[in-house]
Amino acid sequence: MIEAQVLVIGAGPAGLAAAIEASRAGLAVTVVEQRETIGGAIYRQAVLGAPATYQPPAVRARWRRLVHDFAGCGITVRHGSVFLGIDGDGLAIVENRGTGHVEPVAAKAVIIAVGAIEKVLPRPGWNKAGVSTVGGLQIMMKETGRAPEGRILLAGSGPLLIAVAAQMARLGNAPVAVVEAGDPFRHPLTGGGLLAYPTLLAEALFYLKDVWLRGIPWLRATTVAGIEAGADGLVATLHDYTGTERRVAVDRIGLHDGIRPNDFGLSTPPGTSPVVVTAGDCREALGAVAAEADGRRAALSVIRLLQQREEVGTTAALRRERNAQGLLSELFAPVSARPLLSGLTDDTVLCRCENRTVGDLKALCGKEDPLSGREVKHNGRFAMGACQGRFCAENTARLMAELRQDAPAPSAVDLTGRRWPIRPVPIGALVCASDDTSKQE
Amino acid sequence: MPVSTPATAVIVGSGIVGAATAYFLTQHGVKVTLLDAVAPAAEATGAADGAVSVASKRPGPMMTAALSGVALYRELAATGLFSDIFKSRSTFIVAASNEECEVLHAHAAALAGAGVRVELLAAADVRQRFSALSTQARLVVEVHDEGHAIGYQIVHRFLTAAGVTVRRASPVRSILTGDGRCAAGVVTQDGEIRADIVIVAAGNGSAELLRLENVLTPRKGQLLVTERAPALNASMPGSIMSGRYLLSKGSQKGGVTVPRGLGLVIDPLRTGQFLIGGTREDHGSRQTNDLDAVGRILRHAVALVPKLASVRLLRSFAGLRTAVVDGLPLVGRIPGYENAFVATGFEGDGICLGPVVGRALASLACGAEPAIDLRPFAPSRFADHGVVA
Repeated sequence: MIEAQVLVIGAGPAGLAAAIEASRAGLAVTVVEQRETIGGAIYRQAVLGAPATYQPPAVRARWRRLVHDFAGCGITVRHGSVFLGIDGDGLAIVENRGTGHVEPVAAKAVIIAVGAIEKVLPRPGWNKAGVSTVGGLQIMMKETGRAPEGRILLAGSGPLLIAVAAQMARLGNAPVAVVEAGDPFRHPLTGGGLLAYPTLLAEALFYLKDVWLRGIPWLRATTVAGIEAGADGLVATLHDYTGTERRVAVDRIGLHDGIRPNDFGLSTPPGTSPVVVTAGDCREALGAVAAEADGRRAALSVIRLLQQREEVGTTAALRRERNAQGLLSELFAPVSARPLLSGLTDDTVLCRCENRTVGDLKALCGKEDPLSGREVKHNGRFAMGACQGRFCAENTARLMAELRQDAPAPSAVDLTGRRWPIRPVPIGALVCASDDTSKQE
Repeated sequence: MPVSTPATAVIVGSGIVGAATAYFLTQHGVKVTLLDAVAPAAEATGAADGAVSVASKRPGPMMTAALSGVALYRELAATGLFSDIFKSRSTFIVAASNEECEVLHAHAAALAGAGVRVELLAAADVRQRFSALSTQARLVVEVHDEGHAIGYQIVHRFLTAAGVTVRRASPVRSILTGDGRCAAGVVTQDGEIRADIVIVAAGNGSAELLRLENVLTPRKGQLLVTERAPALNASMPGSIMSGRYLLSKGSQKGGVTVPRGLGLVIDPLRTGQFLIGGTREDHGSRQTNDLDAVGRILRHAVALVPKLASVRLLRSFAGLRTAVVDGLPLVGRIPGYENAFVATGFEGDGICLGPVVGRALASLACGAEPAIDLRPFAPSRFADHGVVA
């Protein structure tokens, strides 16, 4: 059993900011991080010898400041440690991948800062080999300093597509095209609103200039309607807003439809101990700047909650980032007004782990009485697989809502529930955990 | 007793008992309104280990009922209703200590005496028949002709086959009393629902409705599900029940239970996954699983099936069984009413007994002779405990 005054889960911007703030307030902080380096996904560090990621100066400056402040606090970081949840006795359960043992942590307070995950909308063929997430491609680039090889298509929606296109180009393999469901140029007034957020605007222009200078096609108001296996590689069918169809042959496709909190399965203990606060993108996905601000807020909340006072609410810094992200969502809103999922063909896979399709869900939801999210999980096996719903729960809930507008819209958590382990864990690792307590029997 | 088949019924609770009763009443031509405080299989049925089994039973009314329960599953599997959702398999009771061997020998004899097909496997037989078992298994009793079913799948199948829609999120406040010794229906938040008969199959929710707080008690169970491990799964010819389970379950000790009992059942599922359980706890929330219990269960599981150590745990969950203070379920006419019935308190046997009790209750409510003897489970034994009226 490990004991900690404050346990911070995750060493991304939210976790690091929370750890710094709590440590400066005199609390003893332990950080657990699943990887061997700190920084999270946004500040993922390159392996030794690989070139640093191409990022705007402001981003690099934020990272340097975080590293400096964190190093000054002398906080213990337990690397290779995967957070599995908080159990019914209030213990934080951490799998040490180094030893292969599960380590329970008794903490007075736990700050959960496990970031965001990418949203990917299903499309016919999205589950084929060679299709991954854009964020996944980016992480690989950040770690290795090498662009993915071959003809790459980036598709979906949002500013990340542009950033990754620019980063790929800088590493010598620009994508064939960037396919964007929205069209920011249709919203000049909203775009003008970004002038109030100069850092964000500078970041956008930093990457956009590379895309323009290198002539990477940015196909706006366009979607990937389907992916098929081609003679050599993949063929993506693109639909633009005029209804024109075209086909692009590529080797790999990166998909990205935004981000959402990585809050799957997270539960809070039934009692008041430990104090549990979520921070950063896993509470509200607003990006790195907001995550830092929210990490500080979480640490202050913990201090107050330990004194049995109320949690700190939304701060001005958070509100500002929320407004900025709101503008971006408007700018990148899909141009096509079609429903996102109910128009998909019945054989489109919705849940990859259990290979369940749009048609399977339609059959379940076509009954007279609308099923609850939990019933759809039980009887359709959606969100039941090894990903524990990370890739399908939100899409399943959204399609259920599109299919049954007469019923209350279900949410992802109705399907996933809130249980540990939030990641699959070898039974052998859990068996080791109980050896400790058995000696006291 | 009703002289003729009722035209309408209202059933409170769409767990396995309520769903089965709805199905069989529909077969009698009764129009059923099915209510649930939450949704079908939202409580114990949706968090059950799914044993369709007599293996842990001692001779007596529960064993008799369980034998009928297993037989009905086989029948419904053969006729098609359960064909793809009932897994026929043996139960292997494993003893790993002197104490467990002793209990298991006696238990096997009792099962055999009741006509259950059992087989004692010595160490050499075990290695051949069940190679995944560790050498810690000193004595194994194979109980033949058992099976496994997943509660929420059974409920879904019953409801679909009966064509019954469920009124979800409809908690029942009280039974509506009519003339004389008759119930007129039930009262919900949205008003009265009138019917010729009323059936309460609301699990722990029955306690408040029928003022049986001193008779019914929730008993938590924690369960675990692994990822698919097809090779190991295929190598197991049936489920494993630890001999310790017989001690934990208290069925050998006249219903004596400890505040937190730990047993072990490892069931190889049709999906290639494993279902591993479980606990019996008199306190605790169904929302939580704790590392202490999970670790102990898994340590025991790995001791018996070492290869499980490399299989990943996917999910933990918990449910609250409904237990009756004397260890027997509560099935039959509610004292004070001619036309209101209760069926609950099956504790860990709801999946095994739900269908057969639903069928018996439908017969009883329609004035026919139930196919199983319900007298040992009669609610009238608690008539002085404030059952309605």
